[in-house]
Amino acid sequence: MPGQGPSRVNDAELIRAAQQGDQAAFEELVRQYDQAVLRLALHLTGSEQQAQDIYQEAFLKVYRNLGSFRFECSFYTWVYRIVSNLCMDHLRRQQVRKEDSSRRVTSEGEEFDLLEQFPDLRAGASPEQDLMRRELGHRITRALAKLNPRERMVFEMKHYQGLKLRTIGEALNTTEETAKNTLFRATQKLRAALADLK
Amino acid sequence: MNCDWVRENIALYLYNELADDARHELEGHAARCSECAAELQAMRAFHIEMSGLPQLEVTPNLLAAARMQLSRALDSAKQRPDWRWALDPMALLRQLRFSPALAAVIFVVGFGGGLGTMYRMSAALHGGALSVEQQQEASIAGIRNITQEPGSNRVRIDYERALPETVQGSLNDPQIQALLVMASRSTANSGLRMDSVDLLRQKPDDPAVRESLVYSLRSDSNPGVRLKAEEALAPMVKQDIRVRNAMLESLLNDNNPGVRAGALKALEAVRDDTSVRQALTQLAKEDPNEFIRQESSRILAQAPNID
Repeated sequence: MPGQGPSRVNDAELIRAAQQGDQAAFEELVRQYDQAVLRLALHLTGSEQQAQDIYQEAFLKVYRNLGSFRFECSFYTWVYRIVSNLCMDHLRRQQVRKEDSSRRVTSEGEEFDLLEQFPDLRAGASPEQDLMRRELGHRITRALAKLNPRERMVFEMKHYQGLKLRTIGEALNTTEETAKNTLFRATQKLRAALADLK
Repeated sequence: MNCDWVRENIALYLYNELADDARHELEGHAARCSECAAELQAMRAFHIEMSGLPQLEVTPNLLAAARMQLSRALDSAKQRPDWRWALDPMALLRQLRFSPALAAVIFVVGFGGGLGTMYRMSAALHGGALSVEQQQEASIAGIRNITQEPGSNRVRIDYERALPETVQGSLNDPQIQALLVMASRSTANSGLRMDSVDLLRQKPDDPAVRESLVYSLRSDSNPGVRLKAEEALAPMVKQDIRVRNAMLESLLNDNNPGVRAGALKALEAVRDDTSVRQALTQLAKEDPNEFIRQESSRILAQAPNID
């Protein structure tokens, strides 16, 4: 997320301007963060439409609550906290429905298998290797589906988004230590699930 | 440091979350302990395995669609507090606990509104050749505050009324232009947006009008409106960097081939610009649209080689 580093000062100026009703400043803030937000939502939901819904809901919440933002944490953390909550709500609902996590839906509503969308294009990749890679993909998605929403969220933010555990803890309204423990449990569960699925 | 500690912290080690001294100790321990070394190796294999999962990436089209959807939602969110009651006055009644008292107030207000004809045209509106016609039927545009006097059934309600008006005047009139700018951002009616952008494109030199056209090009959900805004802005691409950036954004991200083709044509006038050349180079190489690829190559071939 670009707001993590050097743009903090700019962020503060933009936030103050947006708090005073400057629409252009708010749009600029959105553009600094929205790609990372959409990416996180897309990874977790696997659906362009659902990712767009989370994206929209997140920035509407940012817009509605910007007036109460008091710089007690970084804006980056605040935005991630909002997005994380929405993503976890989505994961909880998905868990209740027990959806097949390798099935995905495009924004047009067409369902497809994620793993069919990534043929192995490396030079020399044989059909057998491609098949094995797809099989591995299916195993990983089934293993990820065994995590609870919080473990899934921490693992996604750490392994696939590369966030620091301290940031993850802040985004999930918990401590870095708790985030560490959750990551430990998630990796243990995933390793056990992958071993079972072999 | 013992084996249990190492096993609990190997994940943190691989995710670069251990302090330098702890990293050093963990590596030293794994070098001496074959079981922990095996665990470290297994954890590395797990890491690589998990990274093998294909990940959906955010395409420019998806990002553009999400931004447009958000833009519309923000417009609605901004308009809702003022217009919700006008569009659905019953919603007001549904939400209030003491609706009998409010109903009485609304009845009185409506009766009074029907009797009285309030022309509140400003002096500015009267000036020049602008004529404003006000119709008498007013609706409640928004409730600002409701208080009930303690121990009584008296209620005080501060509200706003929306009075329908018609205005006629020259396209050169600033008030007409301001209303057209407002209409070009109307969320509900794409025909209205189309008409207003069509009229505004006759005045692209005005900064507020130009800003509104840029907004329409970037954010309007209707490709017809975007095309009209694009046509109006095309002559400005040389002199206004914001227009150039909006055109570039449309060329790269718009999901409508016509809008992209229009942006490409407009940007031909500034083909020497570094950012335009970079975009054209990328598009000539890998754009899925054959026309865009070929046109990008053609324009690049005409540009002087300054690299």
